[in-house]
Amino acid sequence: MSTTMEQGRTAPGTPDGPRLGYLSGILTVFELEMKQRIRSRAWYVMLAVWFAVIALVTGLAAYTAGFDEGTGQVMFELVVGFVLFFGFLVVPALSANSITGDRAGGTLAILQNTLLTPGQIVLGKWLAAWVAALGFLVAAVPMIAWAMSYGDVYLPAVPVFLLLAAVELGIACAIGVGVSARSNRPLFAIVASYLLVALLGLGTVIAYGLSYRLVESTAVVHTQVFPNDPWSNVEYDAEGRVLGEDGEPLNSAEEQAFFEEIDRKYQDPAIDTEYYVCSSQGGVQPVFHTERITWLLAANPFVVVADAVPQRERDPESWGAEGPMAAISQGVRMSQAGPAATTPCLDGVKREPTDLSGQPPIWPLGLGLQLLLAGGLMFSGRRRLATPAGKLATGTRIA
Amino acid sequence: MSTTQHASDGRFPGGGIIASGLARSFGPVQAVASMDFSAPPGQVTALIGPNGSGKTTLLLMLASLLRPDAGTISICGIDPVERPRDVRALLGWMPDTLGVWEALTAREILTTVGKLYGKDAAAARERADELLDLVKLGGYAHQPARVLSRGQQQRLSLARALVNDPAVLLLDEPASGLDPGARIDLRNLLRRFAAEGRTVVVSSHVLSELDEIADRAVFVSTGRTIREQSVDEAGAQSRRYGIQGLDVRALMEALGKAGVRYGLPESQRRNGVTVQLASEAEAAALLRTLVSAGVAVTAFAPASGALEETYLSTMSSNGEAER
Repeated sequence: MSTTMEQGRTAPGTPDGPRLGYLSGILTVFELEMKQRIRSRAWYVMLAVWFAVIALVTGLAAYTAGFDEGTGQVMFELVVGFVLFFGFLVVPALSANSITGDRAGGTLAILQNTLLTPGQIVLGKWLAAWVAALGFLVAAVPMIAWAMSYGDVYLPAVPVFLLLAAVELGIACAIGVGVSARSNRPLFAIVASYLLVALLGLGTVIAYGLSYRLVESTAVVHTQVFPNDPWSNVEYDAEGRVLGEDGEPLNSAEEQAFFEEIDRKYQDPAIDTEYYVCSSQGGVQPVFHTERITWLLAANPFVVVADAVPQRERDPESWGAEGPMAAISQGVRMSQAGPAATTPCLDGVKREPTDLSGQPPIWPLGLGLQLLLAGGLMFSGRRRLATPAGKLATGTRIA
Repeated sequence: MSTTQHASDGRFPGGGIIASGLARSFGPVQAVASMDFSAPPGQVTALIGPNGSGKTTLLLMLASLLRPDAGTISICGIDPVERPRDVRALLGWMPDTLGVWEALTAREILTTVGKLYGKDAAAARERADELLDLVKLGGYAHQPARVLSRGQQQRLSLARALVNDPAVLLLDEPASGLDPGARIDLRNLLRRFAAEGRTVVVSSHVLSELDEIADRAVFVSTGRTIREQSVDEAGAQSRRYGIQGLDVRALMEALGKAGVRYGLPESQRRNGVTVQLASEAEAAALLRTLVSAGVAVTAFAPASGALEETYLSTMSSNGEAER
């Protein structure tokens, strides 16, 4: 009992009264959270497991892609995709207990009883969860660098990939913290966060697939004719034998020579075998107006990242994609373009060579939807933390 | 209902707590049905009641954490529902749950809370060290809170409630888990806070202890305030005394001659009797009579604490006594 209490206090609410700056409140909550996270062993165990899993995936990707030069882009996209995927598996566990845990431990009420506002608590907790999640991204950087060492990576894509992965992890953290602020039981918060994250990652794809029937319609599609393609001009008789130029079936020696000739023509770069015209004959076929349901895919984190990342200039008629991310982006843009761009002889009109990059980017819509969901949950969580508390769920104690 | 006067603003010009007509339910459970509560500055007010009587709910409402369904609260003239943050600047609240961040050291906990009251890092650290000395945890400053014993965590929790140098202190069961030495320290500390003009509210079950700490007591039961009483009033009321003598038979004869009805206690260890006396003056007179009658009196003392007496009589009249 050696010290004395401070005497002479200022009245509350006056300019001299105690004040807590908005930012410093957030940072203090952040610091408090980080200290606890850094000191828990679970965090390091998770990081080690994470590192091992990403290393394994990168190793397997390297083995699959071969050890050739120039496969860096595929490797890079594969590894970043997996980092994102595993990130989504880890992040709800990192964030969804941050407020329910405090509620269970009795420390939430202590924070609420200081000068902190509910918004500062939610934002501080979110920031800490996000930084913890970024730790996992940082731990994956050596593997990303390893993937890039295979060369030929489109460098402008790298910072955008990393930035968007960071943003997506932040959104997942916001979902976790928002749910956590709303729920009373840690288990419920974690399961609900996983379900919401799965809703973005898998639910969007399932909804897209199931909506296909809703956008089905019919169109007259004419048959394609490839006049320069030697294969398409081969004629067969009723028994499946190849017919010669005289209309008689060929014997096996003749057939052999005939095929070699066709193959030579097919390989000849001077002949454009892809050239086609639309015949006058056509039939009614089902077509799917995917342009009406592509927005469902937009909120998928992989779509957002893949679509936002800049890609190397490519031949507009080439259908091949360099890596899995580029393939996702291209698939989504084709879906956006709909049957008009993907059906060759729709209504007997020859499809113009489509430049899919002419499609508007879909990632701003997706990011907007995600931010709406995450922001809404954070806002609703903030309201739940407001004190004096009005409604309480039955069976919960505030302290 | 309480016998004292009720909320009129400005009753306690130096601060204090005035609450009237408070009600709060959790779903179908009416935790607080109708409570009036006042705690003047410069005094220690005890909040006494059986388990589940609404003590903690009342303290949560006073601590600006829970919104009352009905009624008004004024903490130093401020309504915690309207201006919770202004009230929190003045308020120190020690919950009945410990609520410590187990991974943090004692000093870090106090420093963090200091920062949350708007102190800069240096001032928060200085305050933390001051409070660790105050609750005698200076030697544990750098230990993580999880290694502290329950009593030490309780002291840490008290220190945490004091970080903002509160004018109003709300302590929910502060003595539970404390060893006798720490209880004496707590008692001295609370008396000093009251002497400094602070408003101190203590809820507790240990009634004998409250006799020495509290200036007044508010009794609650089944969500209602049933009595407000000062400890002096409690001491002046009719109460039971235990008398022991070397020769119990001589003692009983002398009491019979004096016309005092006595009872034989069932559960006491020693042989003796209990008598019901209306006042302390009557007790003094009886002792004088006994001594002059030649009875060898070895003990003559109230059978229970003053607040315990009120508690038992009040609760039994409410059909609520726990024992």
